Amino acid sequence: MAYLSMGEAHRRITDYLNRFSDAVSSQDVVSLKQLFSLSSNSPSLLPLADALNIFQDANRLIKQSDKYSQFGDIIVPFFRSLQNYRIGNLVDSYLAFEKSANAFLQEFRNWESSWALEALYVIAYEIRVLAERADRELASNGKSPEKLKAAGSFLMKVFGVLAGKGSKRVGALYVTCQLFKIYFKLGTVHLCRSVIRSIETARIFDFEEFPKRDKVTYMYYTGRLEVFNENFPAADQKLSYALMHCNPQSEANIRMILKYLIPVKLSIGILPKDWMLEKYNLVEYRNIVQALRRGDLRLLRHGLQEHEDRLLRSGVYLVLEKLELQVYQRLFKKIYIIQKQKDPIKAHQMKLEVIVKALKWLEMDMDVDEVECIVAILIYKNLIKGYFAHKSKVVVLSKQDPFPKLNGKPVNS
Amino acid sequence: MMNQGANTQTLASVDPNSVENRYVVDASQSQAPSYLPPTAGSGTVSWATHEVNNRSTENGNLSNSNYHHEQHTETHTKNLQDGLNATSLASSSSLGTTNVSQDYNGYSSYSNTSDPYGYGSTAYPGYYSSYQQQPNHSYPQPVGAYQNTGAPYQPISSFQNTASYAGPASYSSTYYNPGDYQTAGGYPSSSYSNQTTSWNEGNYANYTSHQYPNYTADTSGNYSSGTVPATSLHYQQQYKQWADYYGQTEVSCAPGTENVSVTSTSNQVCPVPGVSSAYPTAHSQPPPAYTPSWQQDSSSSQMSSVQPATTVNGSHDSYWKHGAPSFQNHVSPVQPHFQKPLDQRSSYSNFQDQQRIACPQGPNTQYPIAQQMPHSYQPPPVQTPPPLDNRRVSKLQIPTNPRIASNLALGLPKLDKDSSSATAAAKPAYVSVPLPKPNEKVMSQDAADSMLKPGMFPKSLRGYVERALARCKDDTEMAACQAVMKEIITKATADGTLYTRDWDTEPLFPLPNAEMVTKDNLPSSTPVSALPKYKRSPSRRTKSRWEPLPEEKSVDKLASATNETGKFSGWIHANEKDRKHMSGNVNKEAGLNNIKFLVSEQKSASKNFQRPVKRQRVAADGSNTADNGDASSDSDKEQSLTAYYAGAIALANSPEERMRRENRSKRFEKGQGNRAETNHFKPKNAGAGNLYARRATALVISKNFEDSGSRAVEDIDWDALTVKGTCQDIEKRYLRLTSAPDPSTVRPEEVLEKALHMVQNSQKNYLHKCDQLKSIRQDLTVQRIRNHLTVKVYETHARLAIENGDLPEYNQCQSQLKILYAEGIEGCSMEFSAYNLLCVILHSNNKRELLSSMSRLSDEAKEDKAVKHALAVRAAVSSGNYVMFFRLYKTAPNLNTCLMDLYVEKMRFKAVSCMSRSYRPTVPVSYVAQVLGFTGVSPTNEGSDEKDSDGLEECVEWLKAHGASLVADNNGELQLDAKASSSTLFMPEPEDAVAHGDANLAVNDFLARTSLQPS
Repeated sequence: MAYLSMGEAHRRITDYLNRFSDAVSSQDVVSLKQLFSLSSNSPSLLPLADALNIFQDANRLIKQSDKYSQFGDIIVPFFRSLQNYRIGNLVDSYLAFEKSANAFLQEFRNWESSWALEALYVIAYEIRVLAERADRELASNGKSPEKLKAAGSFLMKVFGVLAGKGSKRVGALYVTCQLFKIYFKLGTVHLCRSVIRSIETARIFDFEEFPKRDKVTYMYYTGRLEVFNENFPAADQKLSYALMHCNPQSEANIRMILKYLIPVKLSIGILPKDWMLEKYNLVEYRNIVQALRRGDLRLLRHGLQEHEDRLLRSGVYLVLEKLELQVYQRLFKKIYIIQKQKDPIKAHQMKLEVIVKALKWLEMDMDVDEVECIVAILIYKNLIKGYFAHKSKVVVLSKQDPFPKLNGKPVNS
Repeated sequence: MMNQGANTQTLASVDPNSVENRYVVDASQSQAPSYLPPTAGSGTVSWATHEVNNRSTENGNLSNSNYHHEQHTETHTKNLQDGLNATSLASSSSLGTTNVSQDYNGYSSYSNTSDPYGYGSTAYPGYYSSYQQQPNHSYPQPVGAYQNTGAPYQPISSFQNTASYAGPASYSSTYYNPGDYQTAGGYPSSSYSNQTTSWNEGNYANYTSHQYPNYTADTSGNYSSGTVPATSLHYQQQYKQWADYYGQTEVSCAPGTENVSVTSTSNQVCPVPGVSSAYPTAHSQPPPAYTPSWQQDSSSSQMSSVQPATTVNGSHDSYWKHGAPSFQNHVSPVQPHFQKPLDQRSSYSNFQDQQRIACPQGPNTQYPIAQQMPHSYQPPPVQTPPPLDNRRVSKLQIPTNPRIASNLALGLPKLDKDSSSATAAAKPAYVSVPLPKPNEKVMSQDAADSMLKPGMFPKSLRGYVERALARCKDDTEMAACQAVMKEIITKATADGTLYTRDWDTEPLFPLPNAEMVTKDNLPSSTPVSALPKYKRSPSRRTKSRWEPLPEEKSVDKLASATNETGKFSGWIHANEKDRKHMSGNVNKEAGLNNIKFLVSEQKSASKNFQRPVKRQRVAADGSNTADNGDASSDSDKEQSLTAYYAGAIALANSPEERMRRENRSKRFEKGQGNRAETNHFKPKNAGAGNLYARRATALVISKNFEDSGSRAVEDIDWDALTVKGTCQDIEKRYLRLTSAPDPSTVRPEEVLEKALHMVQNSQKNYLHKCDQLKSIRQDLTVQRIRNHLTVKVYETHARLAIENGDLPEYNQCQSQLKILYAEGIEGCSMEFSAYNLLCVILHSNNKRELLSSMSRLSDEAKEDKAVKHALAVRAAVSSGNYVMFFRLYKTAPNLNTCLMDLYVEKMRFKAVSCMSRSYRPTVPVSYVAQVLGFTGVSPTNEGSDEKDSDGLEECVEWLKAHGASLVADNNGELQLDAKASSSTLFMPEPEDAVAHGDANLAVNDFLARTSLQPS
């Protein structure tokens, strides 16, 4: 870093202070939000941080003038945060930033109009990102990472400020989405429920009023929650909404949505085209989709095992595993078709040993009892129409539509 | 609680109050919702009555009742606002905040209940919250606490209200003994609270049926708490009305017989502040007056605290003249003041000094009451106050304890010998009102007073006692002296010379050697301690949770010392008996009520303090909080244990039981000796004192941390909190700690190792082993031992728990094991991760948790046999593959079977539903039995024919129990008629279902199950 003169440092600090107070007095949110975007490494903030590290007495500068000192509660901790951020001390930076954010929230609460909403967004974003980084720092020092949790409770406070009536409420969904991100990261998704409830049941929120990007994010996260609950129709609806309204340019986001939407669609019997998997690089699903098409149980198991870690982490493993029954259905249907070609009259009677043989061919080592059990389950879950005669060990298929399609409905459970 | 319950029941016939007492206890656990509804109901009823009675004074009443509410909110917010408060006061204020806020929720719902009289609902919340606050105070600063409990009957206004509600007519039936009142009048400083106390009783009497109003009385009493007397002084100086008011109460109470008029007068006085026309003013006005008083409460031991009261009163004055300025103004003067005492409190010695100075002031006089009453009356409750002492201000306690005990002793003879004058029980209520420490003279007067209370004793005797006690230089002497006097009086009463003797000229007995007295008691207690196996009685057990034994011990001992005859062990018993044929003796009754009430308060206090402690889980090591996490979640289990030990309910108060208790408390002092034990509480004893002090500070620090969140856990001196055990006993019962662990009761690592070994090889049943293992775990925790032994202990316990289907206990162990394994301590982590998986799969049905457990498994773990098995079980369960499930069931390694056992029923039912849907026309039962694990894996297995037929039988039974329809085919083989069954299958109600939903907690079932197992 080049040597910075005292005068230059002083100039930069007063410059920042002036910009801040001007932005507030003229309600210029565009400039205001820039002043807070700590992590953007913006050209205006980095030099300021250097200046602060040289010019130690910035607080006096703020106190000197009434113009600045009214924002002292916001700026003083923010400067401290910036300083710490610059020297890589993220935990302290986070603490100071939270203080500053609290003060800003206090101010924001007092402002009648919602002009500063954008600035609040920036703060909400920054505090989350900063908390994540601070936690990483804490974890590497062997301390318990808890800043993200703290950020969560701060954002909850912000949500409280925004969730009232009036123009500020359109900001509530942004904060909600930030909260989702935190909760999903922390693995405390049960905390989402209260926020969701206030969004979905409160009359004051008309969902369509919210900004589009927030709606998409919100639908994405709530859709994921529904995947966890294995509530496939709801998950399908939410994730499809997110996919439809998502910016078609942002492929990363589309991929994220598809990552959950595909398993959901598979579960209700809808298979994706191969090109889509290719385009969005969702190769982990390729084998699984293939297995569903072919009724290849081995391929399914193989596909699941291959990407087990990834699928477990994203939380769709259990969903995909349940596709096994559909694979069986497909396999049985194939056997049925072959039998029909051979002997149309007896085609609806499927001998258990045939099935066992087919599975053996797939290197699935299952004995008669087990296969019988699977047949029973398939009939029970309405994937096969017909019945099983235990005495003769024969599956008797219905003559009409023995293998009903799911048609968008989930497998009975 | 059980004991409490039992006691109240014995009283029930005579004592209308008992109901309330129980109520209070409930409240103290802050089970707001549970009892709110009932109160609402009775509340309305009773309020209606009031209306009729006091229509003219209704304004006054109204204002008062409202004011509780206001005041409450006030303090509440203050607590919240005041960060300093929380920090420096450690737990007290912050506790207040938490509790209060909870309550708050409670009554917000409450006020919704339709109360015909709008004011009623507001009053409820007020008292309700006040109730909660009370305990809070009591905990962190015992002195303050005791005042609170002692003075609960102050609440000028609230009190008045209830009184007036009661109605004049009912008053005549109150328990007033004119004689008592006379005496009370003689000691204005002390009598003040006494009067109010009795007022309260009056209410109780009236309201037997209406629990609610009584309750109000109680709680409002609590609320206004110890300092109010202090303020009241000022009132007298500054406020004519209030002074008058006070005066009136005093006077009116004294005669006792004039109750009717009293009520009316006081009623008139009462509205004064709220002048009937100024209705709204009346509403809001009282709060300012009260807030200060409450605030001071915490600083009550300080003389200076009185000053602000004055100021506040002043503002109050203006307030009520000018209408309604904002609340904040009134409060603010108090605020700074409030903080001051807090600072000082942090150092105990300091505190103590203050306490002493403050004592003569009068407000503190109540202090002993609380102390004493519990002690003298209900041993189980007695145990409650001590935790406070022990934990925090152990030093502080001493000066008063012996004295109290001596008072008690004085009362005893009467109790034992003379049931008509059995007011002994009641006496303490008055007795201890006297000023504590500094003023020995007053003290002795009170002691004397206590004897004279019933009005049965001649004046001259009182003088005699006074003279005798005046000679005493310190507490021990006093105690000894009182012991002697007690004997003298007892003798006099016995031979009838009590009234004939000329006490004025009677020579004073030589000053007894206090030392000797104490020693005397040694022999009496040692044999007791020699008693072999101590067994806790259920009643005892519940109480003991909150009980710091050493403290109780010392008191007991003193009691026995003074009561050399040995009656000591049985005196409660006597007391109980007395109570029964004492219905005529109303006064005593009143006293009893009083006591019980206080007791329960104390209890609540200690309960309350437990709660925050729990939060400290992290900070727990080494302090007594260590095992709280475990222990608290254990409470249910504990209860079952309780029942397990239950042969002895009947014994609860018998002499043997008494001895056992004694014995038990002995256990805690081994290695220190009786004297040393007492010394813990003496400031002189530098050694012990120091240890406690050090720990205390550490505790305060950790509390601070909890409350302010500003201090890092690392800053706490954990080493100071860590105990190094010295106990050599291999076997030790588990007892949930309520105070800092005593090194002499904690076993060092080597001993624990032996203990573990013993448990592993023991032939006793699960409950015994569980108890032992819990105590081992506790000792490990308090000593912060975390190594292979710890892991072994937890593993052993977890396995035992699985074997016995005790999932709650297993979960505790599992969560500890997870942490221990994560710390890198070797153990059977694979085995336990398999258990963990099975638990998640089969019992929690939490997809997310399952996913995270699965993704945490290492590759190495996935190769492990047990883990593989668990994963296979998971797959079988998620696909509903019953064939696979029962195969895995048969081949499960380790204790996986035991965990699967718990899921078998569900799986079978699912399987049969599935079969009956898919199979047509029938399925052979033999097949079902084989597939569903009733019989061996393969039907062709010749060797197990007999077993198979048993299994078949069982399967048939099971199918029938679940509504399946069975038919025999041509060959006589039993078949499951699938079509018919598909509509008739049902899941039968589990036979061992219990109301609380967890059959494991049903004691009898549990016992039956465990005793069947020859473990």
